[in-house]
Amino acid sequence: MMLLFSMAYGLLAFKIPLSFMAEQEFFTSRTMPYALAVLGIILALMILLLPTADPAGKRTIKEETRGMDWKKAILLVMAMIIYGLTMKWFGFIIASVIFLNFGFWILGERSIKKMLLASLPLVILLWFIMSTLLGVYIAPGELFYMLGIL
Amino acid sequence: MWDGMISGMLTGISTTMVPFNIALVLFGCFMGSLIGMLPGLGPITAVALMIPVTYGLDPASGMVLLAGVYYGAIFGGSTSSILINAPGEAATVATALDGYPLARQGYPGKALAIAAYSSFSGGTISVIFLMIFAPLLASVATSFQSADYFALMILGLTAVSAFAGRGGVLKALLMVVLGLMLATVGTDQTSGVQRFTFGSLELLDGIEFLLLAMATFALTEALSLVLTRDESSDSLDPKMIGFKSLKVSKKEFKLIAPTIARSSVLGFLIGVLPGAGATLGSFMSYGMERNLASPEERAKFGKGSLIGLAAPETGNNAASSGSFVPLLCLGIPGSGTTAVMLGALIAYGIEPGPRMFTESPEVFWGVIMSMYLGNVFLLVLNLPLIPYFARLLAIPKNFMVPMILFFSLMGVYLVTFNDFDIQMMVIFCIAAMALRLMNFPMAPLLLGFILGGLMEDNLRRSLLIYDESIAFMWERPLTLGINLTTLFILFFPMLRSLLASRKNGKGSQTETVDATS
Repeated sequence: MMLLFSMAYGLLAFKIPLSFMAEQEFFTSRTMPYALAVLGIILALMILLLPTADPAGKRTIKEETRGMDWKKAILLVMAMIIYGLTMKWFGFIIASVIFLNFGFWILGERSIKKMLLASLPLVILLWFIMSTLLGVYIAPGELFYMLGIL
Repeated sequence: MWDGMISGMLTGISTTMVPFNIALVLFGCFMGSLIGMLPGLGPITAVALMIPVTYGLDPASGMVLLAGVYYGAIFGGSTSSILINAPGEAATVATALDGYPLARQGYPGKALAIAAYSSFSGGTISVIFLMIFAPLLASVATSFQSADYFALMILGLTAVSAFAGRGGVLKALLMVVLGLMLATVGTDQTSGVQRFTFGSLELLDGIEFLLLAMATFALTEALSLVLTRDESSDSLDPKMIGFKSLKVSKKEFKLIAPTIARSSVLGFLIGVLPGAGATLGSFMSYGMERNLASPEERAKFGKGSLIGLAAPETGNNAASSGSFVPLLCLGIPGSGTTAVMLGALIAYGIEPGPRMFTESPEVFWGVIMSMYLGNVFLLVLNLPLIPYFARLLAIPKNFMVPMILFFSLMGVYLVTFNDFDIQMMVIFCIAAMALRLMNFPMAPLLLGFILGGLMEDNLRRSLLIYDESIAFMWERPLTLGINLTTLFILFFPMLRSLLASRKNGKGSQTETVDATS
């Protein structure tokens, strides 16, 4: 994975635009990326080819991840992505409350009362501190403008 | 020298001893202890989570708060190690070796009190060393040139990788390179050329350091808690923890006093080394004390020895203060946590390095003096509060993890107000998670990322000064000395294992000859 990343990085470094003047210089915007790509490729190859000094040996991904709770972790990652997407439309308070409650639910909490008690005061307090006490403007969701509420 | 130190101390006192900054130290210690106590979360996460709070403060106050969070988190980590055998991070693993058995024997209060007294002593003694050595080193470092800085950065990055442990050096070096690669994303400050932005406006200013720190530490550590099905934090009933007495007898004090003195010196010296940090400080102090202990005392190690608890606690706190020496004097972080603090300094607009000593003395001395205050607060205020803090350990994981994720995402969003950053955090979190599963360490990546821009600048300047020749790497004796140290650090483990295998080979040959004869 790191070998491929380094190779792709090196190839993309060729596409860094340079002016005519810059092309004559010894150290350009491409110099450091070239050096890093070469270093990355060498190190990745060394890890792949050299015998490991790790006492545990080279363990496969399957061995490393055995018994892990992937379902919950993937659902949490999805919740984070959805949170990022809904923030603009629902605004800070609604998107945050939904995210927190969804997170609690993914991890096994089923009491709606507990979930709301843990999320609502926290989000509102944070919003109050930021917008009222610190004077930071947090934009309301676009949805409120579309529905004509604001 | 003494005049400079006294005037510096006065600057530090005038910076720290204002009610607002005293409150910040107290708040930092409190929050650090709370976050550090949560299993799985260490000082790097604690400092990263608190950085957004500091953005509205002046740099001196911001650093004072972050320093408070740092040693508060180490103290908090010790608490979870002692009470539930769940070290928040590697630096407090050695604390659990004797702290947890002591707590299981019915002395959790005593174990926590010894940890607190040892932390206080280790922290305070090493701050005195810091006060003496930091200005000395900073005044020497003012004569450093770009070539020396470049060499120093290479040394720092190599040292972080070299201490990554057996089998992990190459992986750590690769992570350094990856961090340096990520640092090249955005507009090149010298030429104004866009690099690796893929036409995205959001990437023009490069990747936000806080975003990377949160994604690689806070988010991945929270997700690791879910992935590993670790039920330790769920199984604790705080009412079961008895705190009969937080008192330590005179006899016990006498027993641990020499240990504290030795471990303070050793911890500080280890902390000064770039990359070594608190983990090595705690383990080496533990190892040293076990070797020096009498046979009866040695037998108690691992079963609740007071010396075995005092040594790593003193060592990790002394090393934490020691790691501020390279950060404040050279702008080279000594550990992952100080790397995050370096990123914060750069974000405040302060150029880290020896010039900070003369240009921003209030930050330099403010941090040092706030450490005294922080150590006192931790001992006087946090110790009696531990029974109440411990209740935090009983918060179920199904509430704790989403809240950590929420605070991490919010920490970045409320600074940048860009929902693209949340998506980018998730991408980095997934990549970091995959790398962690393959045992790639994350601290070198962050260090490489933070030093990347400075390294490129210094390399460019050195090449310009030396007429595009790489002779700058050896022409100045100082640069040559630093580079030789880097080579030594890099190749010493290989040399040692080569010598050991030769010795073993000879040994087995002798054994074979003996057996034949």
